[in-house]
Amino acid sequence: MRNPTFFAAAIGAAAAVFIVAALIGNDYLFFAGYTVVQYIVLAAAWNMLGGYCGYVNFGTAAFFALGAYTTVFFHKAYPLPIPVLLVIAAGVSGLVGLGTGYLTLRLRGAFFSIATLALAVVLQTFVVNWDYVGGSRGAYVIRPDSVDVFGFQLDYVRYLSLIMLLLAAVSVAISRAIERSKLGYGFATIRDDELAAEASGVPTLRLKLIATTLSGALMGMAGAPFPYYIGYVEPASTFGLTYAVNAIAMPLIGGTTVWFGPLIGSILLGTLTQIATVTISSAVNLLLVGLLLVGFVIVAPNGLVGLIREFLRAASPGRPDVRSIGLVAVASYGFIVGVLEVVFSLAALTAPDATGLMLAFAGLVLACLWIVSAYGMMTLQRWSPLMATIAFALSIVVGAIHIWADRTAFNISLWGAGGAVAIVSLWFLQRRYVQQLYRPKLTELEVAA
Amino acid sequence: MSALLQVSGLGKRFGGFVALDGIDLEVAEGERLGLIGPNGSGKSTLVNCLCGTLANEHGTVTFEGRVLNGMPAHTRTRLGLARSFQLPRPFGSMSVADNLKVPLLYAVDRRAHGHLTAAQTEERCEELLRLVGLVDCARKFPRDLTQVDMRKLELARAMAAEPKLLIADEAMAGLSHSEVSDIVALLIRLNERGTTVILIEHIMRAVMHFSQRLVVLVSGRKIADGKPEEVIRDPEVERAYLGQ
Amino acid sequence: MDFSADLLVNALVAGLLLGGFYAAVTVGISISFGILDIVNIAHPAFIIVGSYVAYIINSRFGIDPILVGVIALPAFYALGAATYQLYHVSFERRGQEGLRGLAFFFGLLFITEVVLILVFGVDYRYVSAPYIDKSYTFGLLQLPMRMVVPCVMSLLMLALLQLFLGRTFIGRAIMAVAQDQGALRLMAADPIKIKRIAFAISIATCALGGAFLIIIQPVEPSIGRDYIGRVFAICVLGGLGSLPGTLIGAILLGIVESFTATFYGPSWAPAVSFGLLLLTLAVRPAGLLGR
Repeated sequence: MRNPTFFAAAIGAAAAVFIVAALIGNDYLFFAGYTVVQYIVLAAAWNMLGGYCGYVNFGTAAFFALGAYTTVFFHKAYPLPIPVLLVIAAGVSGLVGLGTGYLTLRLRGAFFSIATLALAVVLQTFVVNWDYVGGSRGAYVIRPDSVDVFGFQLDYVRYLSLIMLLLAAVSVAISRAIERSKLGYGFATIRDDELAAEASGVPTLRLKLIATTLSGALMGMAGAPFPYYIGYVEPASTFGLTYAVNAIAMPLIGGTTVWFGPLIGSILLGTLTQIATVTISSAVNLLLVGLLLVGFVIVAPNGLVGLIREFLRAASPGRPDVRSIGLVAVASYGFIVGVLEVVFSLAALTAPDATGLMLAFAGLVLACLWIVSAYGMMTLQRWSPLMATIAFALSIVVGAIHIWADRTAFNISLWGAGGAVAIVSLWFLQRRYVQQLYRPKLTELEVAA
Repeated sequence: MSALLQVSGLGKRFGGFVALDGIDLEVAEGERLGLIGPNGSGKSTLVNCLCGTLANEHGTVTFEGRVLNGMPAHTRTRLGLARSFQLPRPFGSMSVADNLKVPLLYAVDRRAHGHLTAAQTEERCEELLRLVGLVDCARKFPRDLTQVDMRKLELARAMAAEPKLLIADEAMAGLSHSEVSDIVALLIRLNERGTTVILIEHIMRAVMHFSQRLVVLVSGRKIADGKPEEVIRDPEVERAYLGQ
Repeated sequence: MDFSADLLVNALVAGLLLGGFYAAVTVGISISFGILDIVNIAHPAFIIVGSYVAYIINSRFGIDPILVGVIALPAFYALGAATYQLYHVSFERRGQEGLRGLAFFFGLLFITEVVLILVFGVDYRYVSAPYIDKSYTFGLLQLPMRMVVPCVMSLLMLALLQLFLGRTFIGRAIMAVAQDQGALRLMAADPIKIKRIAFAISIATCALGGAFLIIIQPVEPSIGRDYIGRVFAICVLGGLGSLPGTLIGAILLGIVESFTATFYGPSWAPAVSFGLLLLTLAVRPAGLLGR
């Protein structure tokens, strides 16, 4: 698909999401969704420098906060419409990115990473000591109730969500365009072997500076609408490590070498974060993110996309067949539902009654089985179909108990649907041609003997 | 034939260790130069200094009349000075064909002022693959290549930059007899098309067959420079490198 | 700003004492980053864990925090060895130290902080020992014991480490592994085992470093972040891999921070270390005593 076509499709998708959300009409959906979409932008921006070029930026918060505080500054000095603020924030953050890059990109990658950390703290200290934007006490930013968009009166939060959706579409489109371009080749060589890249004629410093500037600018743009969204901006949380961790975890979990890696990672992790923060606590949520990050980095370095790609390459070289697509679907379901189940089970651990507690533990066990078997299936481990079978069978039992314990219509439909999927998956997993994939292949020597 | 590359008084030290001590060297256009010397004599350091991977402290390197001191490596490659690495350093996340596209996109295209079309790039890429015998490996990834093919890729990538001067740094280490002959033949063919080649090698058979002129480096100093048959009979060379 | 001699002298002394302490906190990174080339950003997290260990045992059993640090040395050593093993198997062997190794340590830093918050909350914790509230005055000079004792112990620890690295076989092997792993193998020493020992030592220093920290100031989980900048600033300033350089860099930073806090206010303190780091990286990355 050519770049302009994709760009139009991305914008179209963003608009479609917005319209669907508006039709559902739930205000909380917009609130929570804003954060998730914001992370799509941050993850895509981070990945341009981190995933494509291999330079880790720990200071995502710095660029994000720069954008946010630019808005705060102008809100106090001379309020401007959001699109203008976006441009200014892009300029400020982009310049800072360029400056930091120029100072440190001639050194090793590790030094650049440490410098980005340093940048975040230095900027935070400046903001804390700058009373005009509120200093350490923070600044209140009152948002208008609604805004006039081409004759429509749009609720302000929805307006912000629309802006963020469009920004996300742009970020993803830019990522994809870069990936397939000469610039993308250059970035990849920097990541693979910078010395060899230089010897091959790639102007590595210039390309790295481009990546840093672009990345910083996008992060600043993500931060610009933030004060209006949140209403109260203070340095400790705006410069917080949460942004850094999420911006790193999402691309690493999704997959760093393709444009849809950060997209998948941010939607998955972002949604998880929202659910966990609401059902348990934000501290436990952060713990989960940290554990997922470390887990993926050790076990699946190329992220979910990498796992699936490796699997497809091994299971059906050439075109993906029904078997491999089905397995990817089952594994994805197991993984996503498994992680969700972890969150809900942890929340349910505070249940007062014995049944609730038992269900919570069962849920945790089930979730672990699901997640491990999903990983096993994608890495063609022999034991994985059996473990997945056990997991799905267990899920039917657990679902039945859930329904028996709490016979609300919602519960019945939820666990009923889960049970249906489980039955189909169980059938699929027992099929001979699936089982065959996981049997050890006889080597030529063994066959000859 | 005018001097394509001129090195005068080149010096490089690492802390207290002197790696290169006042190297003077001239390479004429179209020449086939062999560079030999024991391990640790500074051959790779010399290559690194010539190509800009390392910065030399003393002396100047002049290429086509242009002083290269301070110029980053990628600019030197664009000017026409390319090298292959002793230990192959392929771009692991790209296919073999894409590995070759990088210098085409960044060095050759630059020289053509951005007028190299996609079709021309493809064409040159395929020609290179045919020249080194890697056509079957075009879609493969470097990690799936054999040792020999990796070395061919390394050489091909340097050639892809369409250099005026190619430095092949121990490109044949560990190869079999016929493989060595293949590579030597390849380099000679390249030279016949107009590329000046500096061959750094330990395999004497290849060096003697290939070189029109031979330079010997020992402990960072040039101790011999002349016709191959004469150089290897030099008593100092015998003592320092060829063995008693 | 009042440049009285009193303030000046005390700022200087406080800076010196602080610097001595900073050296203890940084020496682990001098080993892991300077010598082994492992970017262990999680180092401050291990220090904070050391502080909390000192806090738990001190508040439960009343044992002197520095003593607790010494007792905890073997446990931290084991922790360091285990961490290195995981790091080596997952990243060094696969050649992915760059992006993924960094992300790994960053994740560790983060997880540690969050777990500490979950277990201990965000309240400041402190230890009690007979000398913490004592302070001796010599004319203009004020010497708070809570700073003097850690500084002295820190210098002792540094001296012991320098002796170890310079005089023992393992110590010299550690210095060698940074320079030439191949030669080390030929000398019948397994580079991986040497690196593991070195990394374990670097984490072991956190047991003591953490104890020193909680003596000097009350501790809460997010303090580690301030120390990331300090530790790497000192390392880069003093030149990677040089223990004497670490001490000099630490004292320099201590003095600059002390003066900034005294004359400009403590809220600027974090910017000092990180700003100094940025400056050094931009201007002279090899440091003052760099290799």
